[in-house]
Amino acid sequence: MLEWLTRGLRKGVVTSRYPRRAEPETAGFHGRVEVVGDDQAAHAVETVCPTGAIRVSGGRVSLDRGLCILCGACVTADPQHFRYSSGFETASRHRTGIVVGGLIEQRLENSRPPLAVQARPLRRSIHIRHVDAGSDGAEEWEIAALTNPYYDMQRLGLYFTLSPRHADVLLVTGGVTASMTKPLERAYEVMPAPKAVVAAGTDACSGGFATATGEVAGGVDQILPVDVFIPGSPPSPITLLHGLLLAAGIVTEDSA
Amino acid sequence: MNLTPIAGNGAQQFLEGRFRGALEQAADGTAVLKLPLGTVDRAAAVLAAEGARFITIFAAGETTRFLVAAFAFRGEIVALQAPLLNGSTAYPALSLHLPSAELAERELHDREGLTPLGHPTLTPALRPDADDLEQRIVGGESFVIPYGPIRSGIFEAIQHVIETGGEDVLLLQTRPYFKHRGLERRFRGLEAVPGVALAERIAGIATVAHATAFSQAVEAALQIEPPESARLWRVVHAELERVANHLDVATKLAEDAALAVGAARFSILKEDVMRLRARLCGSRFGRGVVAPGGLASAPMLSPAELRESLGRFERDLARDRKLLLRTSSFTDRLIGSGRLDRETIDALGGVGPVARATGLSTDARFERPYGAYQRLGFDVVTFEGGDAMARLDVRFGEIRESLHLIRQALDSLERIADPAVLRTDVAEGESGAAFGWAEAPQGELVYWIELEAGQIRSAHISSPSLRNWPLFVGSFRGDVLTDFAFIEHSFGLTAAGADR
Repeated sequence: MLEWLTRGLRKGVVTSRYPRRAEPETAGFHGRVEVVGDDQAAHAVETVCPTGAIRVSGGRVSLDRGLCILCGACVTADPQHFRYSSGFETASRHRTGIVVGGLIEQRLENSRPPLAVQARPLRRSIHIRHVDAGSDGAEEWEIAALTNPYYDMQRLGLYFTLSPRHADVLLVTGGVTASMTKPLERAYEVMPAPKAVVAAGTDACSGGFATATGEVAGGVDQILPVDVFIPGSPPSPITLLHGLLLAAGIVTEDSA
Repeated sequence: MNLTPIAGNGAQQFLEGRFRGALEQAADGTAVLKLPLGTVDRAAAVLAAEGARFITIFAAGETTRFLVAAFAFRGEIVALQAPLLNGSTAYPALSLHLPSAELAERELHDREGLTPLGHPTLTPALRPDADDLEQRIVGGESFVIPYGPIRSGIFEAIQHVIETGGEDVLLLQTRPYFKHRGLERRFRGLEAVPGVALAERIAGIATVAHATAFSQAVEAALQIEPPESARLWRVVHAELERVANHLDVATKLAEDAALAVGAARFSILKEDVMRLRARLCGSRFGRGVVAPGGLASAPMLSPAELRESLGRFERDLARDRKLLLRTSSFTDRLIGSGRLDRETIDALGGVGPVARATGLSTDARFERPYGAYQRLGFDVVTFEGGDAMARLDVRFGEIRESLHLIRQALDSLERIADPAVLRTDVAEGESGAAFGWAEAPQGELVYWIELEAGQIRSAHISSPSLRNWPLFVGSFRGDVLTDFAFIEHSFGLTAAGADR
């Protein structure tokens, strides 16, 4: 046991300082797709996207990151309008907040304020229950990574809990399959108020590829009121952390 | 180690002798046995008696539908093909003779409405109801624990129905398909390139394996060859994925044993691999790399940079592994837990590290070498114990072999004449059908892809996780509830891959 202790100490501190310090970005990381360029785009670019995330309206391109699976088909086909970026703060408290480019739509006010605004003592103690409602399994790896020494989310007062009865946040992955609808609803019902639902990953935001098969509801917001949408296929651990801090009310969205 | 080389055309000779007139060679080299529908069960039994391993069963074809059952037989894929004439919706069940076909036939029944006559356990499989529990042990003091689909931890959705008297696991039913997303149907109408993005999202933790199996099926169907550099880089990505998966298992097992520092150490090692993959290709899961024809994007690290990162990683891993295997509070929980014997593996068609931990040297990279594995050297790591410890030993051995394979691939990449040529053009509007396979971290993964004028007409996936779930049930022999997590995590399976 002592050997484990010295082994652990020898490594030193590897933990990220996020959100107090900006997380160093990995060059070339496919964190999100940006819409760039002011020139007019042709309608044909819409068909490049396998999940229909791209819209062209009046020559202006918009990209719904809630549908985007980061496959890069648009980046290859039309580099004048689309570019990968390593940025990771992609989550939003509004479904329209994860749509970029095009004409800025009016953001609807969320009915529920963040948890720490509703109950101040929750600020340093937020308990999270994860529910898999039909993900591809990658999201679970990235969520589990939040407790590793690199991200160590406990330092921010965020904890995973095993029972939804102890949870403040329901962290849902997947587009919600028929078999998972009832268990998901039940988990939400037994949570104490105030509570928040976070949709983690593109599948949870919109159903992704699976929506067209009719086997999934097409996103967690079809079943439950969602407080934070985290796009990404899968979202990286830091992206997830950003989304959870948004739900908690520890960080706020840029008003830009 | 049990590495008897597989005889060149032992399969062909046997099939010609036994099924004269029915044997045909498909364009991709697969041996196809064209049989009447009423005889598929007997033909399957003949193959199984000769040591063939059942892979999957599915329906294909547009105007004339036919039933296809695929087997791994003496280093080849053998497909039994029977026409479904006059709209026939029933056939003699393969699972009468092959227990390994039970789950696949239940799924086929739900999905295609084809009834396997005489199937021993024909109950609905897809879209299970979490509340629909059945207690099978009647009388006595036993009760049912429904464990799942929402589980104690950050795990995928699956339900284990445990019947127990309090401590012993008396009976276990594992119910997959809570995450059935109908993704095989989703392939229909896609071209090969968005198709590969879908394949990458069937089982996220085996992204590269799925992309490789899919791409190789398309390449075999259209008879194109990816360039050598692409084949070598595919090995690098696939082996990094295997290392990450095996480290994930080690982390979960250390967590189960409440070994806090051990779990932290292994989660650091896994994160190091994930970050290395992100630096190499922009994705922590190797997405957007493998594509039909070769690679979709050029690697962002040079062989020299990769080699240096791997050296550091390997030194860290060696120390942690040694310490972990010396920690008796950890190994005591694994030794003897969830023991499987070779007969069970054979009967249920087990694959991957689970099968190799019983001494079977089954590995798609070795049985039917694909891509650069045809030339690179590696050992198929086997252990005899059959328990959770042997499965972990296999995984640590495979990490060593994976790093060895990556180094060989990097050396070759520095030697080949045109390392920058990464892709062969995929001709548009072509047609064809073929099997493609890869050894995923969970075991042998097989794709069947049919292309019609450049678009995918049908796709079928045989996932190693689905084939290994019945083994999980079979591994509980006198094990108690507190062993459950150790046994489950030692299997390292993924529900997303099984459920599709």
